[in-house]
Amino acid sequence: MKEAASQDRQGGFDPGGLRRQFAILGRELAWLDNAATTQRPELVLRLMDEFYRKHNANPRRSVHQLGTEATLAYEGARSKVAGFLGASAPEEVVFTAGTTAGINLVTTGLARWEIGPGDEVWVSAAEHHSNWVPWQQVARRMGAALKVMPLKSDGRLDLEAFRKGLEAHRTKWVAVTWVSNVLGVENDIRAVCEAAHAAEARVLVDAAQGVAHLPVDVQAMGCDFLAFSGHKMYGPMGIGALWGRRELLEQMEPMIYGGEMISRVEDGESTWTEVPWRFEGGTPHAAGAVGLAAAVDWLRELPPAAHEHEAALARRAAEELSALPGVRVWGPAEGRLSLVSFSVEGVHPHDVAQVLDNRGVEIRAGHLCAQPLLRRLGVESVARASFFPGNTADEVRRLIEGVRAAQELFT
Amino acid sequence: MNQLYQAKLLEQAKQPHGAGAVPRGTEDAEAINPGCGDEIRIKLAWTPEGTLEGLVHELHGCAVSAASASLAAKRLEGRTRKEIEAISAAFAARLGRSGFEEEWGDFQIFNGIERYPARIHCARLVWQALARALARENQAGEVTP
Repeated sequence: MKEAASQDRQGGFDPGGLRRQFAILGRELAWLDNAATTQRPELVLRLMDEFYRKHNANPRRSVHQLGTEATLAYEGARSKVAGFLGASAPEEVVFTAGTTAGINLVTTGLARWEIGPGDEVWVSAAEHHSNWVPWQQVARRMGAALKVMPLKSDGRLDLEAFRKGLEAHRTKWVAVTWVSNVLGVENDIRAVCEAAHAAEARVLVDAAQGVAHLPVDVQAMGCDFLAFSGHKMYGPMGIGALWGRRELLEQMEPMIYGGEMISRVEDGESTWTEVPWRFEGGTPHAAGAVGLAAAVDWLRELPPAAHEHEAALARRAAEELSALPGVRVWGPAEGRLSLVSFSVEGVHPHDVAQVLDNRGVEIRAGHLCAQPLLRRLGVESVARASFFPGNTADEVRRLIEGVRAAQELFT
Repeated sequence: MNQLYQAKLLEQAKQPHGAGAVPRGTEDAEAINPGCGDEIRIKLAWTPEGTLEGLVHELHGCAVSAASASLAAKRLEGRTRKEIEAISAAFAARLGRSGFEEEWGDFQIFNGIERYPARIHCARLVWQALARALARENQAGEVTP
């Protein structure tokens, strides 16, 4: 334990101080399921609580004092998220329920009107179901073909194959993940966008697994849309954001009709209010937006050493797991961000996860909502440990010990 | 330490009764656990008298689903269709709910599974396939006594 603690401080980062900001980590659990959802620091919980205790009202509707405060809090959160993403203006940020909701808004509100029979939509083989199924369905409905960008043996996008397969005027949309939730690799989004734009196709980026680990800059990426969730970056569940280029947001149809998204309602027809509010029908999750903004602040305060630490833990876990007989680690040898997926010969991932849970180590097991990718890897499910900067070398040790215990139990 | 993984469960899981090859396309029914993609394909064989001769299952799944398939195959052999339906209903009423009484024997390994709600789907997998197979036979009019 002492040895592990001193290993943690190598590189000048002490996870202990960071852990103390997470009340839930006071439970005797090693939380290694950060890629499914992170925990929330006190700052996020406190500001959400304060919103309800001190400023609660229905934002953007009321002229009274609390309504004004709630509106300022909600729109202030939008500005903060816009700054975080490198957006040109707050109006390019649509608050959504999360990544999935953002992607579905684009496929139903814009892509479906631009895709027709004979057209093509591309997804990468590494997509989460939430960036696969909406495109699969819109392609099916509109009579377009769904094409799959293959991966290279290191788990990164095969950009050569993609460039060769792209067809100008036929390829309309490209949906791609920034960071794979199974392989933990960062994809070269800029290169995807350049190739796609040369073919006059649009690009949507699923940033759910990237925002907590990498600096975001939508301009540098060069994409057309980018979606992410609050709960995977220390913010609340039920809130996320969709960033889109202003001129494309202007062309997009709303998906949710109702209150506060209209300009004028006649008996038989309606007109929409401005972008982005026309996409936010109904009372918004204002406390969630406040919490998301707090998470942005918190994330920006993290030193670079914190991200180096989480990556070092993932690397260490990958190395030590690979050294165990019968264990196969998925993903690249180099450039792993903060997670490691693995298979244990003769032990089902559920059983690995259950044995670890009995030892207070919490990992994910299953298809990770990436069945097309897992099928390509030749497995039905995997186990996955995913880290945040508050994890420790001792928790990696407990992970390895637990995997060995599972092997002993089942073989 | 491993409350769920008692010796009896591991024993069933390592040598599941009724495990065999059911190539895709030859099954009477399949069931998939949406949470993990686990899959079971089953084939039922009936005697001329209308009792179950055997429940063969090919499972790609965890120890809990394997143990459940094994216990189901063992318990259902020799039963009529009606009895099987009654046992299925009784199983559903007990798994993760009232629990299994002494007369259920090794099924008692699932008592306490309510503490692991994600695993209830695993224990239910073979029974879902079974229900589908019986429903299909009903539709096809192959009603056995």
